Amino acid sequence: MNPAIETTGLVKRYGTRRALDGLTLAVPRFAVLGLIGPNGAGKTTWMMSVAGFLHIESGQINLLGKGPFAPDVHSGRITILPQDSELPPESRPLELLTHYGLLQGLTRQEAARSAAAMLGEVHLGDRLNAPIRSLSHGMRKRVMIAQCFLGYPEVVLLDEPLSGLDPREVAHMRAFLTKRRGHQTLVISSHNLHDIEVLCDHVAFIEKGRAVRLATLEALLGKASTLVYVLTAEPADYALLTAAVPDASLAFDTASSSLICRYDPHRASPGEINNRLLAALLPQCGVITITRGASLETEYLKNL
Amino acid sequence: MNGLRQMWRVACYEWFDALRSRRALVVLLLYMATALCNMHWSINLLHKLESELATALQLPQSESTGVVSTALWKSKPFQRIMRQMTQNDAVLRDITGKHPVELIYAWFAFFYTPLLVVLVAGNRIAEDLGSGAVRYVIFRISRSSWTLGKFLGQTLMIGFALFLSGAGAYAVAKYRLAGSAPPDLFENMLQWSGRAWIFSIPYLGLAMGLSHLTRSASKATVMGIIAITFCFVATILLRHFSADTGWRAYLPHFGMLLPGAHKMCLWRSTPAPLATGSAYLLTLGFCYLLTGYAFFRKRDV
Repeated sequence: MNPAIETTGLVKRYGTRRALDGLTLAVPRFAVLGLIGPNGAGKTTWMMSVAGFLHIESGQINLLGKGPFAPDVHSGRITILPQDSELPPESRPLELLTHYGLLQGLTRQEAARSAAAMLGEVHLGDRLNAPIRSLSHGMRKRVMIAQCFLGYPEVVLLDEPLSGLDPREVAHMRAFLTKRRGHQTLVISSHNLHDIEVLCDHVAFIEKGRAVRLATLEALLGKASTLVYVLTAEPADYALLTAAVPDASLAFDTASSSLICRYDPHRASPGEINNRLLAALLPQCGVITITRGASLETEYLKNL
Repeated sequence: MNGLRQMWRVACYEWFDALRSRRALVVLLLYMATALCNMHWSINLLHKLESELATALQLPQSESTGVVSTALWKSKPFQRIMRQMTQNDAVLRDITGKHPVELIYAWFAFFYTPLLVVLVAGNRIAEDLGSGAVRYVIFRISRSSWTLGKFLGQTLMIGFALFLSGAGAYAVAKYRLAGSAPPDLFENMLQWSGRAWIFSIPYLGLAMGLSHLTRSASKATVMGIIAITFCFVATILLRHFSADTGWRAYLPHFGMLLPGAHKMCLWRSTPAPLATGSAYLLTLGFCYLLTGYAFFRKRDV
């Protein structure tokens, strides 16, 4: 299947600094891709280039198989939550989103219905006609998120979607975005690795304007083939552990006091491995947590 | 077709949003108030002038203003003053006999419209570029539709302001002139508003074109004020230094690039110069706007 977004060798300079230095990245259709990288790595620049806000110096962009962004081709099919962009302060959320819906080709009824529905989804059903300037920062952010999903676009680019939201709204927004998995292609840029881990099924590490790694979260974290035990102390008798799970490999990370067990999922189920290993572990030390796969933070830091 | 529809939607929203913006509303109300006060004070002045003229010409004194305007137009000194002011015999011929309040309103509208334009519309594009609001629109429609829509919206806004102030000025004139107002005064005032509207378009193009160059709303306003001042001064200088021979003979051609050079066409009553002047002014407006747009089309937002 064609990727939803395919960028090849993108170069974008700000003065003498290369914000994108030949960035090549393909986002599979219906994937929820998390962009991870330090400040200034080029995540926002990549998104802005894909959305047609920035003019790239070289490289190619192919969106939904129809070439670089063109409003007459991609309007309503690709949307973006841009970073640091204010909505018109005098506008009202419902009329503004209806206006945006009309601009992207919806009929008046569809636009009004979609705007009201999306604002309801982001818990702003009671502030439909309040001036934007009277809304709190978090509420404005929710209006910005709502505008991205008008008319059910195929690709949605979200730059720091959860920053500035209160914890309850973060949880709600996570659920809102998770519902879209498998139906829409989402690209989420965030510094919050926990959010990425919860929301995404693909991740791309971006460093100095280049994509250094693109993988499914499953493969990256080894969710199907790794169990991680956070222990109260290092086990004294490794021979006993190895004997309990002879087909698995064991490693202890002293920094996090974790025992990492890698196994072949075709030969044993995680339940079986867990039962055998726990029986050998518990007489030796306490077990604080057991998780499937490594944490994204661990993997990200390992890749730096 | 789709582009035109989107442009129209942007224009309608822009008009609606501009009306709601407090700054635009305050400027609009100030402009209206100035137009009304100007009409009121001008009628006072006119009444005084007429009284003096009636005394000098030994005509019967009247309580109403404008009654002796026919006599006023016939007087040689007044014609000399008007010729000096218009510097154009054809214009003088066309405006001769018109009611003075009409001309006072027309002068006011032509003189202050560029300033109104800059203060109301000069920062609209820069504001959206600075706040990033433009980013919510240009992945939905083309940049050209957005620019033209904003321009059209502001054109409607300025037209609204001019027609409203025309109607307001008429109301003041009607009240102050008591029974002596000519029957077609309202129609004529609106006509002058319409002409001032056409005259506003190159300034709108200039101000909004410049607005594409910066992300700062206040900088855009300052640039607009400098630009209209430049146009005003350059028009006077070019007229002053123009001559029939030598390199000075070319100066009027440069003047054609400035709105002021076509203003007098809008004072004419005959259709040909009126249409030519309007066409020039509309073209200039679009040229100024598109020059700014050419920069915006290539810029990062």
